[in-house]
Amino acid sequence: MANTDKDKLSRRHFLKAGVAAGALSTVPVPLQAAVTEGAARSKTDELPFAIRKLLKKATLPKADGARVVVVGGGWSGLTMAKYLKIHNPAFDVVLIDKRPEFISFPASNSWLADQVDLDFLTHSYIDAAKSHNYHFLNTTVLGFDRDSKKVFTSNGYLNYDYMVLAPGIEYDYSRIGVDDPVAQMQLYNNYPGGFVNSSELITIKRKLNTFKGGTFILNVPNGEYRCTAAPYERACMAAAIFKKRRIRAKILLLDMNADIRIKKQGFEKAFTSLYGDYISYLPSSEISQIDIDEKTVSTDFDDYSFDDAIIYPPVRASSLLEDAGIANMKTAQKIANTDPYKYHVIGDEHVYVTGDSRSQPFSKGGHTANSEAQYVAEVIAAHALGKEVRWRSPQTMCFSAVDINPLKAMSIITFYKFNKQDKAFEFDRTHMMEDWNTEGGQASLAWAEGMYRDMFYK
Amino acid sequence: MKAAIQYMLFVLLCLNITNTQAVEKITIKLDFIPNIEDGKTTFGVCARCHLPEAWGNDDGTYPQLAGQHVNVLMKQLLDIRNGTRHSSLMFPFVQSRTVGGYQELSNVVAYISTLPMNPAHSKGPWQNESKQYEQGKKTYQRYCAGCHGDNGEGNNELVYPKLQGQHFQYMSQQIRRIKSGVREVHPAMQAVVNELDLEQLEQAINYASYFAVPKEDMATSTTWRNPDFN
Repeated sequence: MANTDKDKLSRRHFLKAGVAAGALSTVPVPLQAAVTEGAARSKTDELPFAIRKLLKKATLPKADGARVVVVGGGWSGLTMAKYLKIHNPAFDVVLIDKRPEFISFPASNSWLADQVDLDFLTHSYIDAAKSHNYHFLNTTVLGFDRDSKKVFTSNGYLNYDYMVLAPGIEYDYSRIGVDDPVAQMQLYNNYPGGFVNSSELITIKRKLNTFKGGTFILNVPNGEYRCTAAPYERACMAAAIFKKRRIRAKILLLDMNADIRIKKQGFEKAFTSLYGDYISYLPSSEISQIDIDEKTVSTDFDDYSFDDAIIYPPVRASSLLEDAGIANMKTAQKIANTDPYKYHVIGDEHVYVTGDSRSQPFSKGGHTANSEAQYVAEVIAAHALGKEVRWRSPQTMCFSAVDINPLKAMSIITFYKFNKQDKAFEFDRTHMMEDWNTEGGQASLAWAEGMYRDMFYK
Repeated sequence: MKAAIQYMLFVLLCLNITNTQAVEKITIKLDFIPNIEDGKTTFGVCARCHLPEAWGNDDGTYPQLAGQHVNVLMKQLLDIRNGTRHSSLMFPFVQSRTVGGYQELSNVVAYISTLPMNPAHSKGPWQNESKQYEQGKKTYQRYCAGCHGDNGEGNNELVYPKLQGQHFQYMSQQIRRIKSGVREVHPAMQAVVNELDLEQLEQAINYASYFAVPKEDMATSTTWRNPDFN
């Protein structure tokens, strides 16, 4: 590999990779020189072990074609890796995720209420990589240098020809009035939201199965949060569990929005006809403060005491976009400036942003990410050949479980179009099936199974 | 619809063979009288993605199912069910644990065949009198019309799909899949696809996308919504 200036690591980007930043400040030699491939051995030897490890190349088979590194093995990244290989088998595709296995968030509310088991949700990255002929690297991404096209991970760095960033979302506790990092951590540990890390789901299931009664607060965040229907669905599943356990419990569903955001009729009917004794729905409940010691949630109108809670704060794009130096910190979601049709970062046609960290306002969820990634994989394969593909809308297919034993669900399918006058995406045709029934319940599980098959198996 | 739908089931009789005796194929013919009312209920599973009108999508991701021959629909369901036709997402939907057995499949295809077709399916890029349209017409008539019919009407008895009203993009995607070997089809169809190049195939499909759908098979307007689900 040519030892050019381009191979040098940009200090600016590297320092942004929080994990390494502390260690770097004690580094005695200029990083710029030290990290250059072929730098004098004596200099790199002086670096702390952790840094030396980072500056090694990650162990991977030699790339036999242009390398595409996909950062994030969620619904977008998994689909992307598969379809990149389908559209261009010559690509050397590497999928990176810090999780050792995949646990699905879609369909997890049905798991909370014991309608499917954990095996249904759990899948292996090894199976996925093997079925679809790409590499899976179980490691944590620490930073980027887009000038020399490198991704730094805790297993060493990788060079890329194309990089797809699909790192998903992070919670933004500051938007519910919790700014102090210690308070944020306490809130997360005591009342996790259940939309980012699968351990949160396991905690929530335990909470629902052991709750002794009293007030249980759930909330619906505002803005473009992940999975629009899920907080309402979760209220239904939580109520179904309490009903089955015959405990005296009241779910306060504090909606930071003025009204139910999606499938309004279906959810309203469920709240009243099935769970009238369990769910109190409170719209326009903007959370302004949470007192963890006193166990109270404050809105502009009232204070609510609780015995237990699931607090789902508003979300933002993953801070990995910041680390890559592409996040616009002035936007509420901290999104990147990307081409709305082709998904690449403006000014860098080798870096793409997809999935829930995308810049377009499409509904954040599994099906949207899957259908979008099938298209973007085609875009990247075409770009490598100097070609273009016709834009097509992602699809949002979204099931909501409402009742259990047997599982009953409702669904919506929607498409998007670009409004050239407003220069913004808007909903195209939308079809709602809000009469929840067992056909919907069967379809919801068949859908999830079909998506897992697509991402993990042949 | 009172006529029975016939399906041939090919069953491999696997005796407990300890020597290398040949295993014989046994063919069983079964008749099913579809129950359209029950088919409507089952279609409640399908309609989540295919939508209650089953009109398909102009980007090729969903085909127009409305108006398709029952035997063609059934063949696809069975092919997807046994993995001959690969579709990750459809696979769990057509398993007996989701949709039921042959009776339920018969019911649902019979129901779908009663739905009026999309009056504005998407057409190919080359209109009548263009060079490509004319070229496609020649190719179609020579290679395709024998089975799919002069007007793309297909044949239920012989299980030839109706092409009238099918979205151009859907046919285009499928033909690419057949060409690249991803989708397995009848040897006669495979031979034709192998014989022609992509440009010729695309032109033939373009021509087929302009076949008129008989008025009596079509919905009255594009805003028609299936009253069974609305």
